[in-house]
Amino acid sequence: MTDIRIPAVRTRAAATPPAAAVRRPARERGARLLAALFLAPTVVGIVVFTVGPIIGSVVLSLFHWNVIDSPGFAGTANYREVFTDSTVLVSFRNTLVFMVFAVAAQLLIALSLALTLNGRMPTWLRSVFRSAFFFPLVLSAASISVVMKYLFNQDFGVVNWLLGLVGAAPVPWLTSEHGAMATVIIVYVWQQFGFSFLLFVGGLNNIPKEIHEAAALDGATGLRKHLAITLPLLSPTLLVASVVGIINALQVFEQPYVLTAGGPGDSTRTVVMVIYEKAFEQLRFGEASAVGVLLFVLITAVTALQFRLSRRFVHYQ
Amino acid sequence: MTDSPLSRRALLRYGAYGAGAAALAGTAASWDRLTGADIPGRDDGSLVVATLGSAFSPDGVRTLVRGFRRLHPDIKVRINAVQAVDWPDFFAKILTQIAAGTAPDLVYVATEGVQLFARHLGVPLDRWVKRDAAELREYFADVHPSLVESMMYEGSLYQLPVEFNAADMYLNTRVLERSGADLPADDWTRDDFTALLRRMKKANDSHFTPYFWTNRLWGGVVPWLFTNGTNLLAESKAPGGGWLWDAFYPAAQREGRGGGFRWTTPQATDARVEEAYDYLAGLIQDGLCTRPEGGNGQNLIGVFSTGRVGVTPAGGFWAGGLHLAGMRDDAFDVTYFPRRRTQRHQFGAAGYALLRTSKKQDAAWEFIKYSARLDTLTELFSTNQTTPARRSMLTAARYRETGPAHWRVFYDTLDKFPDTGPIPAPPQVAEVTQVLLKHTGTALASPRSVRPALRRMQGDLEKAMERDV
Repeated sequence: MTDIRIPAVRTRAAATPPAAAVRRPARERGARLLAALFLAPTVVGIVVFTVGPIIGSVVLSLFHWNVIDSPGFAGTANYREVFTDSTVLVSFRNTLVFMVFAVAAQLLIALSLALTLNGRMPTWLRSVFRSAFFFPLVLSAASISVVMKYLFNQDFGVVNWLLGLVGAAPVPWLTSEHGAMATVIIVYVWQQFGFSFLLFVGGLNNIPKEIHEAAALDGATGLRKHLAITLPLLSPTLLVASVVGIINALQVFEQPYVLTAGGPGDSTRTVVMVIYEKAFEQLRFGEASAVGVLLFVLITAVTALQFRLSRRFVHYQ
Repeated sequence: MTDSPLSRRALLRYGAYGAGAAALAGTAASWDRLTGADIPGRDDGSLVVATLGSAFSPDGVRTLVRGFRRLHPDIKVRINAVQAVDWPDFFAKILTQIAAGTAPDLVYVATEGVQLFARHLGVPLDRWVKRDAAELREYFADVHPSLVESMMYEGSLYQLPVEFNAADMYLNTRVLERSGADLPADDWTRDDFTALLRRMKKANDSHFTPYFWTNRLWGGVVPWLFTNGTNLLAESKAPGGGWLWDAFYPAAQREGRGGGFRWTTPQATDARVEEAYDYLAGLIQDGLCTRPEGGNGQNLIGVFSTGRVGVTPAGGFWAGGLHLAGMRDDAFDVTYFPRRRTQRHQFGAAGYALLRTSKKQDAAWEFIKYSARLDTLTELFSTNQTTPARRSMLTAARYRETGPAHWRVFYDTLDKFPDTGPIPAPPQVAEVTQVLLKHTGTALASPRSVRPALRRMQGDLEKAMERDV
């Protein structure tokens, strides 16, 4: 039976000599130079298109700017403003609620379907399902949301019409506070689970068959095999899927913007929607940047926490 | 002697790589390729006119440009049709262009943005209007003073209105027939309106909604506030404007006119506002109208033309829209908003605003004048996609093909109700709109929700109005 190794906690290599004392051979230096040369375009891209805007946002968050007039230094006024703005605070709460339910549903559905498709099934049928589940991901979120808005319309939508055929009362999908959030999550998960699904399919394919065969010889049943073998070996994939899922969910915009415009009230207003509204509708770019910086901090903190926790739960082969 | 950090062979190899890369870069640089400068009209000294993408058809735009070039062969024009969902989205894109240093010379601006542009970006047209008064006399004689006044800010004129739409009531005549009802009288009341909705509901199945409305600044809850003799923000008029009224309008028409509207103190907790909201909440509870979030302009034509909606507020633009959707000219009709305390209506107008950043202001003024000409507007608005600002364009011939039978309502909303007023759109309009939409949704959740939601709306409006955009 193959040994499943849990990675040891990394320790600092005490005996490593100082770098300056080591004389690297010319070949190694050349290889490093070449590597740097190849990496340069990516690094430049990241600096210009990621690091630059982040720094720009932090700087802008310290200014009052309405596009029209010259920016004026505001110090921490924008941060004080957003911390006392009930809409901003509600949007953070909504985004976190959305993230928890959307990511959980997305991972659960994707994993269940990946496990199901990993069983005995004709190859062509498996391909059909894989394509079908991945298909929504390649569509534009905005256009999907426009269609869904029609489908979920309380008065004229197809969904309520179908429910009416079985005698159910019309559901206020987009017009009640809980219904609106649930509908936004449904639409989002429907579109997004294909990505996690694909990751899980790849992860499952990477689990050696011998491990399951050995477990079967030892008398392990289906559920036991999933819990003791499949899930631990799939945990790196689960980590990637959850990290990407959470980062995406915390930045959700198109679906609530098109489906509900943040309503009823503020019930589906998300952080990125608030950033958009403050910047491009209310012309308060400083405050919008401050909210952006707070979202950046939140995403970084949640991701760091995930990696920290992953040391306990993620098992590498 | 120290060791070389790079061997001779490695040096030669990297030299070859470098030469290869330089050769590639040189080849790429010499390729004939498209750049931003290749966009027709860019940086060629054209007068740039930004319009809301969907406002004019491609044919209309071509007509506009060709006609202007015939008149002014020395002025090049480029129409920049900015694609946007609605006016706030359009303004956001224009402001982004301005921030990026690619500001247009002229921007097509609706009532929603008149004061925002006037306050921060616009150039008053006063001196040109005074200079070309003789030429413009015919224009002003043909345009209702309410439309002109809505384009004034603090005593100055910033746009010449070319189109407008008042919130009138469209009725599906097939639904009226099914319900055994006639087209309401011009002076119908809010109670008549409610009775009609009940009658419609009774005569139709469960998939039918008598009244469909959209939660927005124009045609949403605001017309109900107008007819209840109130508004979201206290309304007054700026002083001034006499230079225009005295020059172009007879005494009867200039009475009470000022230098443009002012919307100041929020009054969302006013008893009349609450009453209007209570009324709508009651309609929703009785299943007589859609919830605000449920309605949106995108599916409105579909549900109205197929008879799943009986009544909806819309302007002259809907005549063209319903015709394009395949609705016969006699399948719908239009009347005024029902009376409550008043029968005052709400309208929104649009025209071209000249930006301060423009270096071609005289040429831009020529375009503004050209765009307001009768022949220009006749060609541009040939499909009834809006109500022309010029009264003389509203003729039986114009509406013969599209309907409705009572097309006179469109301009009579101004002529018969001279107090018909513009959308309450101060410079802080974006935030005011957002606050209105948000709290209207909450307020209409149930009749009990109205008062607390309006209190929150008042607080948010006060905060919004304190800000200087």
